[in-house]
Amino acid sequence: MSATAMGKVTTLATPPQKPRSLWGDAFRRLIRNRMSMFSLVIVVLVLVIAIFGPALSPYDYTKQDIFNTSQPPSAEHWLGTDELGRDILSRLMWGARTALAVALISQGISYGVGALLGAISAYSGTWLDSFIMRMADIFMSFPHLLLAVFVSATIRRPIADGAYEIYQQTGIEIFRNTVMLDYLIVFGALALASWPWAARLIRGQILSLREEDYVLAARAFGATRWQIIRWHLMPNAVGPIIVAFTAGFGGAMLAESSLSYLGVGIRPPGASWGSMINESLVGWRMHPHLVAMPGIVLAICVFAFNMFGDGLNDALNPRSSKG
Amino acid sequence: MTTYTIRRLLHLIPTLLGVIIITFTLGFYGPGDPLKYQLGEQIPPDPQQLARLRELYGLDRPYHEQLISYVGGLLQGDMGTSISVQSRRPVRDMLGTGLGVSMQLGGAAAILIFAIGVPLGMLAAYRHNSILDYVIVSFSAMLPTVPVFVLAPLLLILLVLQLKVLPYSFGWEGLFDPRAVLPLFILVIGPLLGIVRQTRSAVLEALPQDYVRTAQAKGLNDWRVMTRHILKNALAPVVTSMGFVVASLLTGSLFIESIFGIPGFGNLIYDGLRSFDYPLILGTTLVASFIIMFSNFVVDLLYPVLDPRVRLG
Repeated sequence: MSATAMGKVTTLATPPQKPRSLWGDAFRRLIRNRMSMFSLVIVVLVLVIAIFGPALSPYDYTKQDIFNTSQPPSAEHWLGTDELGRDILSRLMWGARTALAVALISQGISYGVGALLGAISAYSGTWLDSFIMRMADIFMSFPHLLLAVFVSATIRRPIADGAYEIYQQTGIEIFRNTVMLDYLIVFGALALASWPWAARLIRGQILSLREEDYVLAARAFGATRWQIIRWHLMPNAVGPIIVAFTAGFGGAMLAESSLSYLGVGIRPPGASWGSMINESLVGWRMHPHLVAMPGIVLAICVFAFNMFGDGLNDALNPRSSKG
Repeated sequence: MTTYTIRRLLHLIPTLLGVIIITFTLGFYGPGDPLKYQLGEQIPPDPQQLARLRELYGLDRPYHEQLISYVGGLLQGDMGTSISVQSRRPVRDMLGTGLGVSMQLGGAAAILIFAIGVPLGMLAAYRHNSILDYVIVSFSAMLPTVPVFVLAPLLLILLVLQLKVLPYSFGWEGLFDPRAVLPLFILVIGPLLGIVRQTRSAVLEALPQDYVRTAQAKGLNDWRVMTRHILKNALAPVVTSMGFVVASLLTGSLFIESIFGIPGFGNLIYDGLRSFDYPLILGTTLVASFIIMFSNFVVDLLYPVLDPRVRLG
């Protein structure tokens, strides 16, 4: 009896070996979730393929072989070849690079712009605030994907013409690279269509956190503005923003494929899952595997990124997760 | 209620103008000279003819004049003329016929989405944590991540090529043609699962409320509690997602109609993109955002009716 009581006292008295940090807790919650761990494996796999794809891929993704077109999977071509005799596995690997690069950079731009405008909006609180929010309203009254499609369809020609002129005057090769231009146009179109969501989120975060009791308490204790931002606003705002960033990742990959499918995104010779599906759709009765393969890969990737985003949300905002 | 409606309508006007200015600037002025691209590919343009055509389309006037005349035309229902070499029809007429077809498809899809989605969501919440709930929830997490242009060919391969239960459906002969089954199914599936999730969480939120316990204590059976008490309270957030449903139907129609050869609104967007028909692209984008704004407006009006606790602001 007394021994157990003593035991209790000692355990209570022992200080915890390591202070538990916000991020440590979140990480523990994340690895406890089986579904998000499973999706993390896929996410990491896609990342590795996207980074090392060119070294890993068995063939050059643009190399055509007219004697081996539309082949079913075989020992030489694990996933077969497309209608121009290009190796599908290699094209899928390059497509992963395209999808990830577009998702990362377009999300980065829209969150950069969104953070700036959202912060200006929240801190100014005057006519500038209502102007920025009204602009966000206007951009949000378009269907998201249709706006991206519209923008990339309309700015393509002027940008291509401008780049060609620069090439003729300077002779720098990169301005003649049409795939490079496709990338730029897609980044711009996707960022333009999705910045309002980022701006609204960040403005809302700043406005609501500023009124929290712990910020008032810190201010009452004489904390400087920078201390409040560093120790109170940032750790609390970063979680939801990271969650929204990851959750939008799958959507951005999907948007890139949709644009490329419609012929206004990354176009050949660039490799994109969307344009692979579009190229093979004509012959879906003869060669269904050409349509199915990029489609299934795209669906799995988007699903994995979405699940991972959900898992992160549960880990970083434990209060909002539902049992 | 009337003042609220009028205020919401007035609120809409600056947004509407902003949308028009953005689309016009990008769509009409952005490509510089749409005629150059249109004609340049066919025949080397004759400068004199080009100048005459520009005058005809009003492309020689300064930007603000063109914008004002475009807005003036919009107010009279004139959206310009398609510059596609094949058609050269007024954009308004093309949109009219296209929307006629898409409205049938989209309307049927919307009815199916709410008629199936709400009961399914209620069922999932009623059997919370059962296998049924688990199946419904995991399907509704998985399927919407599959884009339409992946789902459509995969279903075609499965149902037409492998199982042979449906004929190859290409073309449009009205809503009650067997060829409409597959497009309708694909159009419904994405937003349907969103509605199921919404309903489920709204009902789950209502279940532990006091009024539910009171109704049960009165001796009402589960069916009556569900339909008379819970549904009334849970419906308001579900109706809010109407805007989301309309947006996904619009985006979905773009892919579905081009894959299944349905001459609707989505197919017009697709054709416009393929043939660089800027007046058509401009018109379709504008109409799509009008539809979104209108559906959000309707939601705003419906919400206080469904949930009287919401004060009109």
